[in-house]
Amino acid sequence: MIPKLKFRSLLMATAVAATGLTAPAASWAETLRVAMGYDPVSLDPIATSDNGSIWTQLLIYDTLIRPDKSGTGLEPGLAESWTVSEDGLTLTFKLRDAKFSDGSPVTAEDVQYSIERAGSKASGWGRFFNPITGFEIVSDHEIVMTLDKPFTPAFNNLALFAAAILPKKLLEEKGETFFDAPVGSGPFVMADWTRGASITLEKNPYYWQAGKPAVDEAVLEVVTEPSARAIKLEAGEVDVALDPPLNQLDALAAKDGITTGEVIPYRADFVLMNTTREPFGDVRVRQALNYAVDKEALVKGVLYGRGKPAASAMPVMKYADPGLAPYPYDPAKAKALLAEAGYPDGFEAELVVDSGKATSRNAAIALQAMLQQVGVRLKVQMLESGTQWQTTKAGNYDMAVSYTTSDTIDPDQIIGFVAVNPERANAYHTQWQDERLNALYAEERRTVNSPEREAMFQEMVQRLHDGAPFVFLFHPATAWAERDYVKGFEILPTSNFRLEDVTLDK
Amino acid sequence: MRILKDLLRSPAGALGLGMLALTLLATLLTPLLSPYDPFALDFGNTLLPPSQAHWFGTDNFGRDIFTRVMAGAVYDLRLALICVFGPMAFGVMIGLISGFFGGRIDAALMRLTDIVWAFPFYVLVLAIVGVLGPSEANLYIAFFIVNWIGYARIVRGETLLIGRLEFIEATRVLRFGKAQIMLRHILPNAVTPALVYSMSDVVLTVQAVAALSFFGLGVQPPAPEWGLLIVESIDYMREAPWMTIAPGLAIVWIGIAFSLLGEGLSVALKPKG
Repeated sequence: MIPKLKFRSLLMATAVAATGLTAPAASWAETLRVAMGYDPVSLDPIATSDNGSIWTQLLIYDTLIRPDKSGTGLEPGLAESWTVSEDGLTLTFKLRDAKFSDGSPVTAEDVQYSIERAGSKASGWGRFFNPITGFEIVSDHEIVMTLDKPFTPAFNNLALFAAAILPKKLLEEKGETFFDAPVGSGPFVMADWTRGASITLEKNPYYWQAGKPAVDEAVLEVVTEPSARAIKLEAGEVDVALDPPLNQLDALAAKDGITTGEVIPYRADFVLMNTTREPFGDVRVRQALNYAVDKEALVKGVLYGRGKPAASAMPVMKYADPGLAPYPYDPAKAKALLAEAGYPDGFEAELVVDSGKATSRNAAIALQAMLQQVGVRLKVQMLESGTQWQTTKAGNYDMAVSYTTSDTIDPDQIIGFVAVNPERANAYHTQWQDERLNALYAEERRTVNSPEREAMFQEMVQRLHDGAPFVFLFHPATAWAERDYVKGFEILPTSNFRLEDVTLDK
Repeated sequence: MRILKDLLRSPAGALGLGMLALTLLATLLTPLLSPYDPFALDFGNTLLPPSQAHWFGTDNFGRDIFTRVMAGAVYDLRLALICVFGPMAFGVMIGLISGFFGGRIDAALMRLTDIVWAFPFYVLVLAIVGVLGPSEANLYIAFFIVNWIGYARIVRGETLLIGRLEFIEATRVLRFGKAQIMLRHILPNAVTPALVYSMSDVVLTVQAVAALSFFGLGVQPPAPEWGLLIVESIDYMREAPWMTIAPGLAIVWIGIAFSLLGEGLSVALKPKG
């Protein structure tokens, strides 16, 4: 059905050039080429947590519900409608008439299988889904999920990429090899995957949104160097460049035929402090470092004004407290706190940084100069991305520049990750612990969405702010640049992008 | 002294020495004369093009690039000299021992050089630094492990050659001690080609050090090492090309200086008559 593009387009172009005729528009296969900075690791939704994999999966698979484009609510995905019982213990979903890309129908059985798999021990995201303990298949198109005890995030978690609905029969048949050429019900189907180079996605002919996607093919090209993505866009080799260097954005926007866009997604950047190591066990030291960092200058100098200073490690999202102010820049106070903690002359510490991330790199260099002013001497250690992550995860660090993004619109995921200990990441590997916060977290998960739940989040974030296991830096904007003829592309607050609405108006 | 005179008499040597002297002078004087701190951030003056106030412009943190390039010379020269002359001293001794004693000692040492030689230079250095972790000290270790080979081979060859000459035969007949023959009579003659080779080695090493920093495996920021200056400039190359060009030219400059010096040395050290 779908013509093999490149060769055919080439033939067509030659023919047109030779005869001077205009080719009928319909016979042109349209390809959208996107330059992306990440190389996806795996297309198994329960085994991944890197952005490249997640974004690609979200183009291939569907979830029952999904965050809407504004990032403030949930909208129907494979589920046409749903009801959540008053006590939050029963979730009922009505499925739409949808098909996988191999033509087989999406059934309630596939849903049960996929959610059970996401909640299984094999899943990296098990805790998000295992509170759902019961499944009742009412019909092919209706499924009821039940919980033993209240777990408010359960519903929202079904909008997470890890809850992608996969074809049970095929997956059971093929095992792990399924994910080399996966089948989903999303707008695209994988046609080719050359690791480290590109992923070619073709239009899913059975996609449930009639007439979508508008393009026949989407190619995600892996281009890790941000400048190279911008250059490729300028040269016309790609139609969209994700994450061009922020400093080049104005220059790109001024170019003929190029438009840029930006959004502040659900993201927070910060410096982890290993609270099991001296002197970071002392809250006064941690607060001192927060006072010693000029966040406004960082936003200006590192983000080129594209972002805002951060007051905590929670992105600006649902239930965030807009009144919570970042630590003011106050080197005198920082010095006083350090002196009080027994470090009047400061101290020396090592800061590990992902050498591949320009924002982190530049933030580290700026931090080094800023902390020098209060006597804290940072030894910057640039490490390759994977090594930096492993080092941090294993707790072999003093300080580390990092960030977090939220894949969902409910802050439960983020708080659990950055603030709760013991939990998945033990307060993002800082080992910081706050009993009251832990209690609030447990409580929040039992409380239905309400002003009370909101108040709990705000108290947790306040405690995180005061306990300061991180040096809170900023919420950076994410940008993209595109050729003028690309219509309808945007990066969502959840950091991913959808391509089914994108058209090429050449 | 005679060597220095000969060196200055050759145009290449004189020019190379002059360029190096100028570099050293500028490096020493810059901290005294430049009003800028190579490390202090100044977000009000970022990415300024070259001007009278900032000869090479400023970088994305508002740091003066001229001051940074000059401060960087200290890093690159130190690295290059230690990475060359440390292994050189070791390699020369190994070559001398190997060539002088011959037999099993020679076979064993030369097989060892074969093994190290079998790996491409960068692959081996990258592997060593990769295992040890990036730092200046580990860079020295990596270069030491790899760089002595060339000198050992050169000096061994020379030693074999010189060992057969009549004046060495004479020292044997006169029953001079082995150490004396090796160090007093063979070494001064055998070391000449190694010294000439070391000049081109310095050039290669400056480039290698810069390249390793470029990969994130060398010197760590905010050191103004030239390779690091270049890697930090990548995202700004198009709007602020001076960020890349200035350290690039510095590498070329020092490369030419040492090449010329090597040229001059080879003339000056050539046996007379």
